[in-house]
Amino acid sequence: MKLENSETVPTLEIKGISKRFAGTQALDKVSFALYPGEVHALLENGAGKSTLIKIVTGMYRPDEGEILIEGRPVQIDNAVQAQKLGIAAIYQEPRIFPDLNVAENIFIAHGNRGNLLRWRKLYADAEAVLDQLGVKLDVRSPARDLTLAMQQSVEIAKAISLNARVLIMDEPTASLSAHEVEQLFALVNALRNHGVAILFISHRIEEVFKIADRVTIFRDGKWISTAPVSRVTPESAIRDMVGRTLDTLFPKHDVALGETLLSVKNLSKGDAFSGITLEIKRGEIVGFAGLVGARRTDVALALFGIAPADSGEVQFKGQPRKITSPEQAMALGIAYVPEDRHEQGLVLPMSIIANISLPTLSQFLTRFGLIKRQQETDTAEDYRKRLSIRTSGLSLEVGKLSGGNQQKVVISKWLNAKPALLILDEPTRGIDVGAKAEVHNIISELATQGIGIMLISSDLPEVLGMCDRIVVMREGRQMAIISRQEATQETVMAAAMGQMVETT
Amino acid sequence: MNISSFIRRSNMRIEQLRELALLFIIILIVLFFGSQIPRYFTGTTFERVGVNVSIIVVVAVGMTLVVLTRNIDLSVGSTVGLIAFVVGQQLSDHHNLSPVLAVLLAIGIGTLLGMLNGLIVAFGKVPAIVTTLGTLAIYRGLLFAYANSTSIHTQNLPGWIIDLPRVKVLTIGDLNITFLVATAIVIVVIFQLALIYLPSARRLYAIGSDPETALTSGIPQRRLVFFAFTICGALAGLGGFMYLAQIGTITTVAAQGLELEVVAAVVLGGVSTLGGTGRVIGALLGAVLVGIIEQGLVRMQFNEFWKQAIEGLAILIAVVSDSALRTRLRISLSHNQAMPISTETEKAGPTL
Amino acid sequence: MKAITRANWLKSWEFLLFVVFVGVIILNVSLSPFFLGLDNLVNVLQLSVETIMIGLIMTLIIINGEIDLSVAAVMGLCATAFGLLYQNGTPLPLAALLTLGLGLLCGAFNGLWIAYMGLPSLVVTLAGLVGYRGLAYVLLEDKSVTNFPDEFSALGQHNLPGLPIPATLILFAFLFIIFFIVLHYSAFGRYVYVVGNNKTAARFAGVNVRRVKMILFTVSGFMSALAALVYAARVGTVRPNVANGLELDIITIVLLGGVSIFGGSGTLIGVGLSMLTVLSFRNGMTLANISGSVQTSVIGVLLILSVLLPNLFQEVQTRWRQRHYSEQQVQAGKERDVETKQPSDVTP
Repeated sequence: MKLENSETVPTLEIKGISKRFAGTQALDKVSFALYPGEVHALLENGAGKSTLIKIVTGMYRPDEGEILIEGRPVQIDNAVQAQKLGIAAIYQEPRIFPDLNVAENIFIAHGNRGNLLRWRKLYADAEAVLDQLGVKLDVRSPARDLTLAMQQSVEIAKAISLNARVLIMDEPTASLSAHEVEQLFALVNALRNHGVAILFISHRIEEVFKIADRVTIFRDGKWISTAPVSRVTPESAIRDMVGRTLDTLFPKHDVALGETLLSVKNLSKGDAFSGITLEIKRGEIVGFAGLVGARRTDVALALFGIAPADSGEVQFKGQPRKITSPEQAMALGIAYVPEDRHEQGLVLPMSIIANISLPTLSQFLTRFGLIKRQQETDTAEDYRKRLSIRTSGLSLEVGKLSGGNQQKVVISKWLNAKPALLILDEPTRGIDVGAKAEVHNIISELATQGIGIMLISSDLPEVLGMCDRIVVMREGRQMAIISRQEATQETVMAAAMGQMVETT
Repeated sequence: MNISSFIRRSNMRIEQLRELALLFIIILIVLFFGSQIPRYFTGTTFERVGVNVSIIVVVAVGMTLVVLTRNIDLSVGSTVGLIAFVVGQQLSDHHNLSPVLAVLLAIGIGTLLGMLNGLIVAFGKVPAIVTTLGTLAIYRGLLFAYANSTSIHTQNLPGWIIDLPRVKVLTIGDLNITFLVATAIVIVVIFQLALIYLPSARRLYAIGSDPETALTSGIPQRRLVFFAFTICGALAGLGGFMYLAQIGTITTVAAQGLELEVVAAVVLGGVSTLGGTGRVIGALLGAVLVGIIEQGLVRMQFNEFWKQAIEGLAILIAVVSDSALRTRLRISLSHNQAMPISTETEKAGPTL
Repeated sequence: MKAITRANWLKSWEFLLFVVFVGVIILNVSLSPFFLGLDNLVNVLQLSVETIMIGLIMTLIIINGEIDLSVAAVMGLCATAFGLLYQNGTPLPLAALLTLGLGLLCGAFNGLWIAYMGLPSLVVTLAGLVGYRGLAYVLLEDKSVTNFPDEFSALGQHNLPGLPIPATLILFAFLFIIFFIVLHYSAFGRYVYVVGNNKTAARFAGVNVRRVKMILFTVSGFMSALAALVYAARVGTVRPNVANGLELDIITIVLLGGVSIFGGSGTLIGVGLSMLTVLSFRNGMTLANISGSVQTSVIGVLLILSVLLPNLFQEVQTRWRQRHYSEQQVQAGKERDVETKQPSDVTP
């Protein structure tokens, strides 16, 4: 497909865009351009892409930098403006109206005033748009009856009907089957032929190489490279994504490993994951690496009883167990620090003290079941010191703390449950470097105390620096278990992307 | 053959299936009563049921619009009572007030009352339950203040309105369709058509189906919710007029509790309180079902006091079966969903 | 739980309510010198003792993020059942016990659908509102039961020997204390708040969300039954339409007490103050010869204003910020005020 020549104006260009949140620089002066009719892939190691999408679709305003649409600088203040400028985005979870049918979903955002709906025309128009994209659907079926893939096509059709010139696709293939991916690619090609500029964000390297014209790579919110796909190889891409040298500051102590704490054989759950087999010993830190959609969290939720597995064996402390509820998991001595600390990990309007004591509230009760406030406060104070939680007071709402301190509160709350196995899901995501180091220290400490640790993380250096062994997952399957000695960023990343690699 | 393949083949929406099931149940019940009650299948039965049901139906149409957007209007009972009284008073004092003006007065007041609800819910962002619980009290208080310990009596009303319930619009054999019943039917038809053919009306469905997506899709949510409440008020006004014609004697407790019967009809009719699904025809069927059961029980010399208890049970059955049916149908109809299927009850929204 | 620091308290809803309460007292006193007499005050509370009793459990239910519209209907049903049992010769204590059991059953039935089947509490209790009331009519039709024994009525109407306060109010005070302790000092009370704030986080912390809800609705049924007994003793007559529409009053008092309809916040202090304020206000209006229905509508206005005014204030605040601060700070302010859902890979 034709690429940049000095005469073609990019449909969308971002120049020097930066955005900072408390403690983290999400984007740091990134720039690149999207040309009409090109499929431009974005590979990223870090967390800036969500922010970028939100900026371009009008949810956030950048701290600095410019956005240009067809050469003109624009300001995108809200979703409707973005829509008018021809920018559309589709996400992993489709945003449709489940109760309305396909045709209505496509055209609902159109502001036709007062004219009577002519259903036959609506259906015909819907079919026409879908035809353009090469998609065959029953336009009369309610959107909720469609598969995810079909819902996605409806979203794309909706964008096209609104004359989108830029389509951002955020991990569109993450939940699709191979066949559906083929169909999606056919759709993308149709879009390409219509001159739409497509930003294709994905972690699946083979797909990127199949569909993209150019590839841009971000790392930790910084632009690293942009090149035509012909000049990139999977290895070079991985190298760019991973780039930095290992921090030597990971405080990994040498710990004598104890007996086997957790033993999992062939754990499976429906579509989510299958065949998970591993062991965790006391004092061992086992990392869980993988990309978005690897389903590592699903495994954790199964072990913690929130979404129990369908089949497979779990042995904990030598006994076979079927874990079916969080209370049971807690009673066994399993704790889970969730990925989403706002929704799952904390009750934001409540105080630090109340959050810390929540899972173990029964420990703080008098004979009559009343809460011993002083004991609660003392315990919270203890953890404040131990984990260096920075706050103006323990009665402060946790919602007001910074990300790093919030995370420490979550960890405190679970430490208080004295778990034997601690599952941490992206514990240092979105927190500043200082807090990150502190959390790592804590984790190492815990290992020396004989606690088994399952560390789910997308931060490669963290995984490599902290873990004794690394389990690599991809789309619900276990790809490899790599020992500390043999693990390198390249081998782990490659396994995570499905490239075959020599493993232990 | 199971239900899901049947649906797929006949291209029906779940709502239509629901209404069909309801119609089927109505037919069964009619047959049952017919077997137990002598001379059940006569015009009088139809008239009696129609008389009771037509007011509920008219108000239920308005309520449907509001519930579609994931809101509720508990003030309709007070609205109906207030308007019945006010119009009744005006007619008693001014016998030469033209019928058309009387109706317009009723609808006009109702519109104003509905607009107030709409303003507070849509623009004041006060949840519909709180708002309409408040206006339920306020409008009833207004009625009280206006009535000043008097009542409307049939003998003071002009003849035409007392006779109105008996005016026959159409006669098919033994069957007489009276004016009020005809009004209800016309309203149902108008709004059912509006909900099918008017783009703004379709957007009501979108708002109830997924309010967040509606926002990002640029749908004028606040304006539309405001209109829904306004129309609900207008129809309650019309209902008030019909109530006056029907009952004649209006006290300060007129139509108290009507809102519950209307919500019952709407819920039974398949309009989900979580928004996004349901049709006016469903509300009609729901009201008819309740009316028929009530009538039948009375004719069978059953304790008339069973009516409310059965109504309550019916609402519960409707909600439970709706929830179970929708979840099961969705699981069997959709395939390859990697997303976890959220049940309807997990939808967050303004109503609890 | 939010700590009550001094600065906090002054800005809190409870303080505002306290100010209003004082205002109402002053207003009432100016209307009638009899207002502050002990007799009158006691009377004011006694007349609505069932309302405030049920208000206690309703507070917990709304904080928990649910609602129970069926409380008045259950009370009516229990009152009816009680009357019937007694009329048919059941000894009074046994009848009372059975009535309490009936209330428990109704509450548990509600709880079954809401807690374990996950149905919305609005519709389930709406069905209850209609259904339980209907059952009351089935039982007693349009009749009434009136001849309760004197000792029983004495419990409802008179003071305990030696005290200037009626037995019913003592019962209420006792219940208030229990609910207060449970809500603000016990683990269960903590769970009520947590589930109302964030059901998911509660579950992830091992809280048995279903059990909490089940208990709340069962207790609600019990309280309704208890209120029915109190009513029978106090008023002496029982009909199927006992407490018709009472749920409106109850919910209004709870919401005016600073409990958010969305759940997660509110205190019994606030609700207690609201009870005193609303009841005094009604009393004042009665003294000023305003009819009951108009009184109710004034309360309705207050209810709406209690949510509307803070909303409008928020809106004005955001607009002011937009004009005076950079967009950054507005965004930051909004992010502080509102819990927005952030993508899980970057959290501001």
